[in-house]
Amino acid sequence: MLAQLLEEAPRFYTYWNLLFLGQAALNTLLVSFAGCGIGYAAGFVLALLRQRHVVTWRLPRWLSLLWTEWFRRIPFLVLLMCVFFGFQMAGADSSLFTVALVAVALRMSALAAENIRAGLESVPERQWEAALTMNMGALSTLFRVVLPQAWRVILPPSTIHAVSMVKETALVSQIGFLELTFAARMLNQRGFSAFLCYGTILVIYFVISYSFSRIGKRAERKLVHEARRRPAPELTVQGAAA
Amino acid sequence: MQLQFGQILPYLPDFLRGALLSLQIAFLAFAMGLGIGLLGASVLRFGPRAARLLVRAYVGFFTNTPQLVQVFFLFYALPEAGILLTPFQAVLLGMTLNAGAYLTEIQRAGFDSVRREEIEAAETLGFSRVQMVWYVIAPHVVRTLYPALSSQYIIMTLGTSMAAIFGVEELTGRALNANAISFRSIEIFSITAILYVGITIVASAVLFALGRWLFRVRRGVF
Repeated sequence: MLAQLLEEAPRFYTYWNLLFLGQAALNTLLVSFAGCGIGYAAGFVLALLRQRHVVTWRLPRWLSLLWTEWFRRIPFLVLLMCVFFGFQMAGADSSLFTVALVAVALRMSALAAENIRAGLESVPERQWEAALTMNMGALSTLFRVVLPQAWRVILPPSTIHAVSMVKETALVSQIGFLELTFAARMLNQRGFSAFLCYGTILVIYFVISYSFSRIGKRAERKLVHEARRRPAPELTVQGAAA
Repeated sequence: MQLQFGQILPYLPDFLRGALLSLQIAFLAFAMGLGIGLLGASVLRFGPRAARLLVRAYVGFFTNTPQLVQVFFLFYALPEAGILLTPFQAVLLGMTLNAGAYLTEIQRAGFDSVRREEIEAAETLGFSRVQMVWYVIAPHVVRTLYPALSSQYIIMTLGTSMAAIFGVEELTGRALNANAISFRSIEIFSITAILYVGITIVASAVLFALGRWLFRVRRGVF
């Protein structure tokens, strides 16, 4: 078997096949990171809706909770099918890229909302109370007091989410969007050995995922370290120290 | 176009049997993955250098590549080496190996959180390594990491939907079949989504009750 693979390898690793795989890898990256970006923006709004200092009505809070739990508990494949056929039913003649992007963004919005909510809740309640007592607005409290403390909790899981999305987009191959897994299937159907096709994309996925998670970890360490080194703003009353 | 949920009602019992199969696959893969994870975490803690490197390579590889492609590889590439797996075997093997890698990572964190005194006490009492892992560390890991382990179980239950791509007739597989027969796509997949939300909520509730009863875990699974 090994001899057969070695004999086939030069025919597989041609310039055009590699270019094809490279473009597919770019598609994978594009759909997962763009989807993550949109998902995080939506997740931020969803998490805000659940902050009782920002939104005082109960209904948006429940709706946000429902949205989050709902999309967290559907398998990505089923979500993808729902979006795919939903677009079809609505008669929207949209590209497969749009369908994939919407599915990734929907899933990510739920994960991001949970993550951001956990980050916001890690800031002690008293910070809110103190800021509101000093007559700061709810939004300015959020951006000036709570978020600067919360992002250290939010950041580490979000890099993990972004990297895990690169892996989950493998399922998008099922609706025919040309990303890495679909490219491997095409090459396989063209008669190349499954060993080479799937083995190669496994390596590509590994390189992408591993390098991004290393970069994420390093950035996180650096940022958190710097934030810790900077002296915390002391809330002292003028003249009280003397 | 109109939604006609009435047409897919006859499929519901079929879907529920599929859901049962989903839960079974998740349970089997989780149970075996837990074993692999315990072994992997013990090797990472006590094993020789070469074995540690091996476990680290295993965990790194399986956590950094998509589960779907791993199963593709098992299902389509292994026959070239003369190993034929049925779809069910390929999915179960892929999910087990994948779960083993994640559960190794989770349990490693649990191993690190065991207090030094407990290990020293076990050593003083003359426990062997295996006894120490089984009687001292494993109970601690299960207790302290119960929330992480149960959320991993839920993630795996959702992950079983991938089996449909290989023709295993679990919940998503049956939905795809029903879709091919009736073309009531949006109705079928929305019902499937509701069923998944239902079974994971039931699973979460059962896990929560179990944790409450066994370990008095206060933190919720939800």
